[in-house]
Amino acid sequence: MYSGSRASILIGAALILTVGACDREERHSRAKPLAENVPAGQSPDTVYPGGAPMPPLDPRATAYERNANALSQGQQLYMQMNCVGCHFHGGGGMGPALMDDEWRYGGRIDQIAASIAEGRPNGMPAWRDKLTSDQIWQIAAYVRSMSGQAPKDAVSSRADEVSNTEPMTQTKRETVRSADAAQR
Amino acid sequence: MITIRRACAALALATLLAGCNRYQNVFGSDGSGSTNFTWLFTIFMAVTTFAYVLVLLFLGAALARRRGTHAVESGTHHQSTPALRTALIGWTAFVVVGLTVLGVASFVTDRLDAQPPREQQVSIKVTGKQWWWDVEYQGPTPDMNIRSPNELHLPVGVPVRIRLESQDVIHSFWVPNLAGKQDLIPGRVNDIMFVPHRTGLFRGQCAEFCGTQHANMALTVQVESKDDFRRWWARQLQPAQAPRTPEALAGYQFVTSRQCSSCHAISGTDAGGRVGPDLTHLASRRTIAAGTLPMSEGNLYGWVADPQSQKPGTKMPTIPMNSQQLRSVVAYLKGLQ
Amino acid sequence: MRLKHAWVHCCVAVAALAALGACEKKADQSSQQAAPTSSAPTRAASAAMPNDDGNWVMPGKDYASSRFSGLTEITPANVKGLGLAFTFSTGTTKGFEAPPLVVDGTMYVITPFPNYLYALDLTKDGAPAKWVFKPKPAAAAQGVACCDVVNRGAVYSDGKIFFNTLDGNTIAVDAKSGKQVWRTTLANIQKGETITMAPLVADGKVLVGNSGGEMGVRGWIAALDAGSGKLAWKAYNTGPDKDVLIGPDFKPYYAGEKGKDLGVKTWPADGWKIGGATVWGWISYDPELKLIYYGTSNPGPWNPEQRPGDNKWATGVFARDVSSGKARWFYQSTQHDLYDHDDINESILVDYPVGNQRIPALLRPGRNGFFYVMDRRNGRVIAATPYGFINAAKGVDLKSGRLIPVPEKEPKSGRVVRNICPAAPGMKDWNPAAFSPATGLVYIPHLNLCMDEGVMEANYIAGTPYVGAEVKMYAGPGGNRGVFTAWDPVQRKPRWEIKEDLPLFGPALATAGGLVFYGTMDGWFKAVDARDGKLLWRFKAGSGIIGQPISYRGPDGRQYVAVVAGVGGWAGAIVSANLDPRDPTAALGFVNAVKDLPDKTTAGGMLYVFRLPR
Repeated sequence: MYSGSRASILIGAALILTVGACDREERHSRAKPLAENVPAGQSPDTVYPGGAPMPPLDPRATAYERNANALSQGQQLYMQMNCVGCHFHGGGGMGPALMDDEWRYGGRIDQIAASIAEGRPNGMPAWRDKLTSDQIWQIAAYVRSMSGQAPKDAVSSRADEVSNTEPMTQTKRETVRSADAAQR
Repeated sequence: MITIRRACAALALATLLAGCNRYQNVFGSDGSGSTNFTWLFTIFMAVTTFAYVLVLLFLGAALARRRGTHAVESGTHHQSTPALRTALIGWTAFVVVGLTVLGVASFVTDRLDAQPPREQQVSIKVTGKQWWWDVEYQGPTPDMNIRSPNELHLPVGVPVRIRLESQDVIHSFWVPNLAGKQDLIPGRVNDIMFVPHRTGLFRGQCAEFCGTQHANMALTVQVESKDDFRRWWARQLQPAQAPRTPEALAGYQFVTSRQCSSCHAISGTDAGGRVGPDLTHLASRRTIAAGTLPMSEGNLYGWVADPQSQKPGTKMPTIPMNSQQLRSVVAYLKGLQ
Repeated sequence: MRLKHAWVHCCVAVAALAALGACEKKADQSSQQAAPTSSAPTRAASAAMPNDDGNWVMPGKDYASSRFSGLTEITPANVKGLGLAFTFSTGTTKGFEAPPLVVDGTMYVITPFPNYLYALDLTKDGAPAKWVFKPKPAAAAQGVACCDVVNRGAVYSDGKIFFNTLDGNTIAVDAKSGKQVWRTTLANIQKGETITMAPLVADGKVLVGNSGGEMGVRGWIAALDAGSGKLAWKAYNTGPDKDVLIGPDFKPYYAGEKGKDLGVKTWPADGWKIGGATVWGWISYDPELKLIYYGTSNPGPWNPEQRPGDNKWATGVFARDVSSGKARWFYQSTQHDLYDHDDINESILVDYPVGNQRIPALLRPGRNGFFYVMDRRNGRVIAATPYGFINAAKGVDLKSGRLIPVPEKEPKSGRVVRNICPAAPGMKDWNPAAFSPATGLVYIPHLNLCMDEGVMEANYIAGTPYVGAEVKMYAGPGGNRGVFTAWDPVQRKPRWEIKEDLPLFGPALATAGGLVFYGTMDGWFKAVDARDGKLLWRFKAGSGIIGQPISYRGPDGRQYVAVVAGVGGWAGAIVSANLDPRDPTAALGFVNAVKDLPDKTTAGGMLYVFRLPR
């Protein structure tokens, strides 16, 4: 009797522990309210006449970078929407390299999302009407992860491309410390 | 009187009957693969049922004898031994023969299924993608190839050879009425060959867990006469029907210039995306989204407006559009016969 | 009296014999210089024009594309004294592939994007610029140019300079004043088309082809009237016969090219509409046969599983009638291309010895690794010999004309095929070889690269890449990434070879003085002896050289050699576009092959002109 109740206590504790694993992250199959708007105009590291600082980053935007599903979807979209055809796996080609710390039009996630949505003068196509905002945020989050900005437990451990490059969990990338204080 | 025991028995019986619809039936012998399987199943059932009955008989006899021997003492031992020995020899022989029969039957069935058809065959390539079937028919010249997502049409009596590939994770091709299961494994080319024997409409399904919408990855298979099949192929070769009304024209413009064309292809237009199913003959198919919804105008509305509510987690995003755009898109799509 | 006559006769005879002896001696001397025997090819007599060694009016020097200068002042004996005459900074830092043009005392330099055209006055000290023409091409074109924003050259004809801009315009500029005469838009960057090739002016028509085989475009070649810029004819390279201008005059040699609408039948439905087969390379012209010869690019996408069939008329050579554009013959050197082996390389027109005859032929150092000798009247392949290491093909079947592939090296989706040689840029990419009629050799600057290739499904979205493949390149057997080969087209083997560490991505120049000039990607401009390849002179330029060297006679009557140094192109994009070497697949795999290039050179765009000291 005594050992029976101890056993059932242990089983109960184990069950509670297993249930605790069931909340790693939320997955939203439909766009959150923020995703309806990819901000326009805050694109390059701009001078704001009058001395006003750059608007702070909405915390919901950075949530994309920490969400494994968003990074994984972004990785898939990056291949499917032919981003890989110009930027390859971060090294660049027709387009500039995305895995280094040089950003022509800004490296904050909302700046990257704006670049994707609006296009840029030297050849970056405008995807605003060709992708949903949610998808654009996912791709922007993935682009950030290529330069080592995303946490290691969120990046995809499976490289969808052929085994010519290491998956992101294995790569050592220098994290970017931007000179722009607003980006930290 | 409805007792718990009776209810349980009825429930058990009901579950047995669950596999007995006509169009997705493990015992439907409508194709060579499933016919072979049904024969094998019958042989197994026969041998094992016979053995089962024998065992029950022996058990019954043993129980009955047991009661009787209370009266008789050990003097009758000698009289029962020859009978027992014969029975034992007979039983061993039966087991050996029975197992051999099962083994041979299994081997023969497997070899029959693996034999490539010798004569003219329909050659199909199916690529499994999360969560739909990218079906491509190979014609005699490459310009006769057609794509028919989520729907197979097969001519009756003609051997068909399906090459199975996967683009992402392991899926499994399973049309129980026609053939057994065969996996679609990324990085590998498998194939499955069978001959459909009977015309009719059948349902297939992905049989290997492949992600959140694995349950909604069904395949419609229409087996038809050779003439019907040729007519269907010829129709699939046609480019998409041009929009006929102003509303459909607006829909065409939306589809070919906005998010739709990033992933979908419509032959004869500028849309050439290959991420999602080819939409050229969307309205001629029986289901939407690999069996998630039956094809109808209302379901098209529901799907295009918000695919995530119909098939949560699917790769098609919910595309923001106002009601006018939605109406025009559906007007165009339902014209893609 | 009779004795006197006899003496005279005797003297005359002796003099004649002596003269003959002198002739023979001269012949001996020239054979020491490896003069061609009667069994060496010669420049096609009909196409070796314009025959003006003082000028350089088209990138190929003449219609035969010989890139051979008849000037003899600079020789192996004196080249070590070659020094700078003047320099000119173009202000661009992208890959510089074009040769300068020289026309009667003016030098014309066409730059990569933004495609400025400079005119330098060679009669004045220091060659100052007379004018610059700025076409102002759309900046967005830079986003749809696969392999650096290069321009392969301008051409001079009839008082005008003709060139193409990256955003798809062909422009005629008055050679004296620098004012635009006409501008015609031919390509649409929204569909991913650009124009990078150097046009050719033949029969009063400006011949232009598009680029974009990696962008899912449909390839074409067009002829514009040189005076007005109006379209004379346009021939596509895929699709139904009426678009490809294939009619009753079309008489290909091999059975595989015969049939109706092969440009549709050898593709899956609608595949030909986005099938590539562009014309971004070189055109040669035979004024006697009135045929132009050009090659077509790879079929699109790179992933071969998406386009079953032979994929006509990609990766092959067309011969078309120059006035109507109608196709005369076609030869597909690579059926159902698996490795991006575009066939746009130069066709050098020669008269080739076969037995006792000389037949009108063309020589092509092919991208797929075979050196083709073809009869240019009908497209028959006389010989196809590997000029480097190939393991992706077993050979060319001369009966059917088909390339014999190696099945184990065929890329399949879901797996990577490794060690494919030659790599995607081929045994030789765009950079043309030079032919010297003095030695009878073809001087080929080329590559020694192998690759790993993996394919996946390509998604077509107009204006974005349509490739479906990932590549990683590296040095081939031997470890050297470049080779300079002096190829004997009759013996069908190399006479000599120079192994280079870096890939050779620039063209060659051959001179009658007995020298061959070429540049390397780390900036060395070299002169080697045409007979044996001995390095005789070199100069370190400020940037790697992928541009074509030329030689001309200056206003002072001296011989000059000019080249523009500006590394880039597909091979040098790691420097010109500042790419990241940590990603081996970048720049379609080339970054992995030249990871060390940024340590060896930097971007630039400087013209260097050399001459001997007084």
